[in-house]
Amino acid sequence: MTMPEPVTLTIDGREVTVPAGTLVVDAAAALNIEIPVFCSHPKLDPVACCRMCLVEIEGPRGPMLQTACSVPVANGMVVRTDTDQVKATQEANLAFLLLNHPLDCPICDKGGECPLQDQTMRFGPGISQLVEPKRRKKKHYLISDTIVLDQERCVICWRCIRYLQEWEDKPQLALFERGGETIIDVQDGKPVDAKTGGNIIDICPVGALTNRVARFAFRPWEIERTPSICNHCSIGCNLRLDTRTHTLRRVVGRENMQVNDQWICDKGRFANAWVSSEDRLTMPLLRKGEQLVPVSWQEALQYVADRLRSIKRQHGPDAVGGIGSAKLSNESNYLLQRFMRQIVGTNNIDHRDGGDVAALPTGLPALADIMKPQYGPNPQVDTVLLFGIDPSEELPILDLHLKRAVRRGGVKLVIAHPRKVELTRYGGPYLGYRPGSEATLLNGLVKAALAAGGKDNAKQPAPKVTDEDLAQICGVDPADVKAAAELIAGSERTLILYGPMAARGAHGPAIRDGLGNLALVTGNAQRLAYAGLDANSQGCRDMGILPDRLPGHAALDDQEAKQRLHRLWGGDLPDAPGKTYSQMLDASGDDIKALFIMGANPATERSAWAENLGKLDLLVVQELFLTETAAQADVVLPALSWAEADGTFTNLERRVQRAPRALRDPDTKAAPDWMILDHLANRLGVNWPYADERGITNEIAQAIPFYAGLTWSALGDQGIQWDASAVPQQPDYRPVAQPARPGERRAFALVTGTALYDGGGMFYRTEQMRNMAYNGIALLNPDDAAALAVSDGATLTVRNDRGELALTARLNDTVQPGTVWIPESGNPPVGDLLDGSGAEAVDIARQETAQETVQEAVSQGE
Amino acid sequence: MALTDILKDAVELGKAMGVTLRHLRERPVTVEYPRDSVPLYPRFRGRHELRRYENGMERCIGCMLCEAACPTGAIYVEADENDPHNPLSPGERHAKVYEVNLLRCIFCGDCEEACPTEAIVLGHEFALADYERRDFILTKEELLNPTEPNVIIRPE
Repeated sequence: MTMPEPVTLTIDGREVTVPAGTLVVDAAAALNIEIPVFCSHPKLDPVACCRMCLVEIEGPRGPMLQTACSVPVANGMVVRTDTDQVKATQEANLAFLLLNHPLDCPICDKGGECPLQDQTMRFGPGISQLVEPKRRKKKHYLISDTIVLDQERCVICWRCIRYLQEWEDKPQLALFERGGETIIDVQDGKPVDAKTGGNIIDICPVGALTNRVARFAFRPWEIERTPSICNHCSIGCNLRLDTRTHTLRRVVGRENMQVNDQWICDKGRFANAWVSSEDRLTMPLLRKGEQLVPVSWQEALQYVADRLRSIKRQHGPDAVGGIGSAKLSNESNYLLQRFMRQIVGTNNIDHRDGGDVAALPTGLPALADIMKPQYGPNPQVDTVLLFGIDPSEELPILDLHLKRAVRRGGVKLVIAHPRKVELTRYGGPYLGYRPGSEATLLNGLVKAALAAGGKDNAKQPAPKVTDEDLAQICGVDPADVKAAAELIAGSERTLILYGPMAARGAHGPAIRDGLGNLALVTGNAQRLAYAGLDANSQGCRDMGILPDRLPGHAALDDQEAKQRLHRLWGGDLPDAPGKTYSQMLDASGDDIKALFIMGANPATERSAWAENLGKLDLLVVQELFLTETAAQADVVLPALSWAEADGTFTNLERRVQRAPRALRDPDTKAAPDWMILDHLANRLGVNWPYADERGITNEIAQAIPFYAGLTWSALGDQGIQWDASAVPQQPDYRPVAQPARPGERRAFALVTGTALYDGGGMFYRTEQMRNMAYNGIALLNPDDAAALAVSDGATLTVRNDRGELALTARLNDTVQPGTVWIPESGNPPVGDLLDGSGAEAVDIARQETAQETVQEAVSQGE
Repeated sequence: MALTDILKDAVELGKAMGVTLRHLRERPVTVEYPRDSVPLYPRFRGRHELRRYENGMERCIGCMLCEAACPTGAIYVEADENDPHNPLSPGERHAKVYEVNLLRCIFCGDCEEACPTEAIVLGHEFALADYERRDFILTKEELLNPTEPNVIIRPE
């Protein structure tokens, strides 16, 4: 595609040259001429409904008023924005908008940052001629659990409606009635449940849509604004933290055209009450007898140091384990692995979804590849294969980008997931495989791709897999597999993305190799990506929070890396690979005598692990809250959250971004992670040279070759991607053995997954969102539920050889027949049913509650 | 000392005594504070008070405009949402916390000017000495319930 010729026009007597297709309003902005707008928004299609932007454009019949937000520029166009007619129109428009706009400004959360206020001051008539009473409409009207609508304040600009249509593709708001009675309302009485629906609050030009979680908690003129990034998922959305009196008051989106455009999801926007929660730990706790009692830092740290030293002397360094967290910064994690490797002398260091997962080191090539089709030519990706990953629940902003890429950029989706996830609504091949049959399905895809021609690497013998295997083992129609493979093989550039759900457990490596084969034979080896799901999943791997990798993805016997670390740290490094996260927790109380857990809560994942933690000689937990794990600890060290200390995070496309300190409670005794570890190291006889987090950022830049130059000041507000070519990733073709049949023979295949509204510790402290949490539930296909005589809300017993859970049934047709979906982070923990094979099955029975029994007795009596 | 000087002094003394004697017949200009007090001008600005409507509802809606207007940062407000069944003030919003730090206040009256509901006003109480620094921070309860309500609404 060639770029069209630029266009030159005159605005207010000044010439400007802009690309063809630019709107007059944007051309004026290039000259710093402000044309007032309400309905126009740079990220939304023009509708020209508010009439605020009327300007004079010369035409064959003299100057005519036209809407600057919808008229594209033309050569020789003459525009005037400063004539009497334009001014009179602007005044009249504002007078009309204000006719029924209530004078709520003192109690309106938008007051102070309200375009209607600002433009009335700049362009308005100054007086009101209205003497009649204003129209009354619904105020304080909840259109979801988190968004409040005030219909009186609305100026009918359509921005919210257009956002939900154009970006979310969920037309959940619409206009009703007509004339002056026009109102915005939800469709069919259903609340707005789009996962990024909160963005309509940011783009509303008046106070019609306000944030229920932050309601009345701030006034725009008194908050401090700190540019930061989100701490929830691995997209790393840019956002702004608004604070006042050392508490977090509000979170809003911040533009980064490489990452999140300007949108953020509702979890990032609303689920942040935990930061300034009353439940935060403020003092170190030490177990004395049965009780955890508050003690001084000196006492707590000395206790940890003494006990670690004696356990190391008695049982050796490999009896100690360290667990980091993908919720914490690069600095915290880097220091923890340095502590474990240098001072304790063990490679027992891992994080959840770390060594247990068959990951790839470099993540997505770039998020912008998926964003590009919507903004311009030169697409970097034309097909996306999502394998065992559900962006709608796991990475909502990726979901938003994909929807837009499909609808505006013509990108095709291929989805392989045991659940018929939301993105399947865009058609394209859907492969609803049974858990445990992934390797077979991938062999089928490779075979079909080779049959369809493949690319340069297609010299491989096709895997031996038959259509019958696909139908019987995977539960997938072979025709769909063929269609999917042909689409991928026929595309120029396919992004192949998989997540922890597919990569976890015993079959993870086979799936990774299978995906590698598919990427190789279709010429997409550089576009095969693993996406971790937590804010710093990528950073944890980069920092070496892995039992078999040093910082920078270096192998344990990589002499060059060892020398580099020796220069920085001094001393020798342990050679033997350590235990992974699950191995450490399985071996707790057995081979592992002491665990240092930083920001993880394994006690909620499996009952067996909770029990094992009780058997440890020493459990140290560095946490924000007294979690289930911390409650079992011998020592609890109170730490600071991502908003309270400087830190860098690396997102799923390897972008290293800053999260600076935005607030800190002046009364708390809690300390940043680095300081706790630094003092502990000191008490174990090693002096580290750090004065603050940025010193560690600088050391990381020396310890990891591809982080060179990524210092605090260099990162800036938009972050920097490290170069994927620094970690060469050229997969070989590896034949993948396919399991004969999924092992266990039970009625239902068990599917687990991450839910966005997970009800976890970072979620449930936001009271307004509690109703939205997925907790203690099991999703069943309605047909299966009918066969089991289970209704929505019934209590189920879900059991297999390893355990038994009581869960509430929810009917959901995205769940395939013969499967049951249970969220990962729930209570009771689904981990009790898992054995790590990835092919678990369960039996389900209805549990009769007392009430039901009574009702049945009554109905039988009649 | 010459005789003329003595005479001069006597005259001066006489003049001075004249003034004293003249004022003996007049009312005193000083008052016996605290037993008596001087009358205050209507616009005198003393200790703050938060007013209510006749029906007992608080006028303050927690809009924080007084806080924004205050030149010394003496006012601290936290707003909250009204319980629709039991509202503290008309509308959706009320002040959950309203504090005035009298040590910072310069009694300029800008808060009064900024208030859209005429809720915060400066009253006529001026005897504000106290023993503890902490006691100089007036809470919402103290502001809403002055010992002697004495509020003049100024016409501007």
